Amino acid sequence: MLSVSPLTGPKDEVHEKESEKPPFSAVGVDDFSFDDIDFDDLFVGIDDGDVLPDLEVDSEMFAELSAAGSDVNLSSCSSVEREDKDEKREEGDRREEKREGSVSRSEESPVTKTNSASSDSNIGRKPATAQTKGLSQGKRKVKVDWTPELHRRFVQAVEQLGVDKAVPSRILELMGIDCLTRHNIASHLQKYRSHRKHLLAREAEAVNWTQRRHVYGGSGGGGKRNMAPWIPPTIGFPPPTPLHPFRPLHVWGHPTVDHSLIHVWPKHLVHSPSPPPPPPPTWVPPPPPPPPPADPSYWHPPHQRGSKDGWVPNILTQGTPCFPQPLTTMKFSAPLVPGIPPHALYKPDNSIAIPSPHMDSHLQFDSHPSKETVDAAVGDVLAKPWQPLPLGLKPPSMDSVLVELQRQGVPKVPSFCA
Amino acid sequence: MGDSSASYIHLVHHLIEKCLLFHMTKEECMEALSKHAKIDPVITSTVWKELEKENKEFFEAYSLRREERMSEMETRERILKLLSESAGEDTDNKRK
Repeated sequence: MLSVSPLTGPKDEVHEKESEKPPFSAVGVDDFSFDDIDFDDLFVGIDDGDVLPDLEVDSEMFAELSAAGSDVNLSSCSSVEREDKDEKREEGDRREEKREGSVSRSEESPVTKTNSASSDSNIGRKPATAQTKGLSQGKRKVKVDWTPELHRRFVQAVEQLGVDKAVPSRILELMGIDCLTRHNIASHLQKYRSHRKHLLAREAEAVNWTQRRHVYGGSGGGGKRNMAPWIPPTIGFPPPTPLHPFRPLHVWGHPTVDHSLIHVWPKHLVHSPSPPPPPPPTWVPPPPPPPPPADPSYWHPPHQRGSKDGWVPNILTQGTPCFPQPLTTMKFSAPLVPGIPPHALYKPDNSIAIPSPHMDSHLQFDSHPSKETVDAAVGDVLAKPWQPLPLGLKPPSMDSVLVELQRQGVPKVPSFCA
Repeated sequence: MGDSSASYIHLVHHLIEKCLLFHMTKEECMEALSKHAKIDPVITSTVWKELEKENKEFFEAYSLRREERMSEMETRERILKLLSESAGEDTDNKRK
């Protein structure tokens, strides 16, 4: 660990503002480089808002070290600096740094205000201000609990300012919450922006993907029919995504979602009598030409069968109008877009095809998934819990869940209640 | 016990994600899991909330998209009804 020496010398100016200095105050300026310091460790015990002498020290050190640009969010030092010019400069820098993508909390501390030569004096003053906020900032990352409500306010503030222009200090002002430091906001903002970008990119991708499904739908779906031997059971789907609009989310998680979904298909496929497979290849090729009109049975909307809600949308995916002929065979199941969960929720009333490519993805969703599909999905998870998570969301912290459960009166979690 | 709790919670997490694929709401999810997997809705709700905390942006986007989708679904269903009423055999009756 670094040797800690009481602040002295240049730090005096800083200290005059500070009423207290933690005994262990910051490490000697010269002893280390910020990168080596894990401030969290140093301050782990310090949770009070007012113990921030470290801040000062850091600031001092930053100023002195003028560390090479570590792309860290400016720590509380910056938040502290309410000085106009500094603030602007800091925020500008901070924004840039944030964009570089490092949000790591541990980086907060060794903020290097390389940019401001004159920041020394400011830095000195800042910690004082920061401390008055009542929350420790700077190196110490006080854990901010971003509740949905808090986050909502945050988002509101950001939207108000404009996502790109939103500056943590302004956000803080708009939110008007004492317990937040600019730093907290800054790091949260960074995360928020980065996620937004991801979501938007993925949505765009999802739209593309749904359009591409037309192409793949035929080729991929065919494999599922048992009656179509010529159809390779391979699933040559476009990026495996159980959901369309949600395709982006899928990226967060595992790419193998489709496998589980695929398993489900055969069930559906099996029970339909297999009429001689018409030349499916005709519609396999990307631009699905109208499905063999000669074989209306192909396109008979599966809703006749009732259980295969999901199939219908696929037909539509083909871009061909659904042939209303009430043929019972559901050959057309084959064209199901592989990426679509078989339990796609679309329940067409009739043989109404909605050829709009854009609608495909939406057709997949129903406001109320059918019981069977939900049951199938649940059963799948229960049976194979080892499978990767379809969305790959960050799992909740075990402690917080357990605590919450205790609060709700659930003494303990059953081991497996399926 | 911690282990089984952890794996149970992981299970619930997994199930919730499945429900998210269906664009279900938290309530729908609680009901579904209770019905199909006999999971106490309280637990579902708790895990859901925790997931929401951890994945705030996701859930925000999720609810936004859900709303969009709902309205789109309604529109679509209305159109479908119209189409079906008109016998549906009109292939030209495509919705753009």
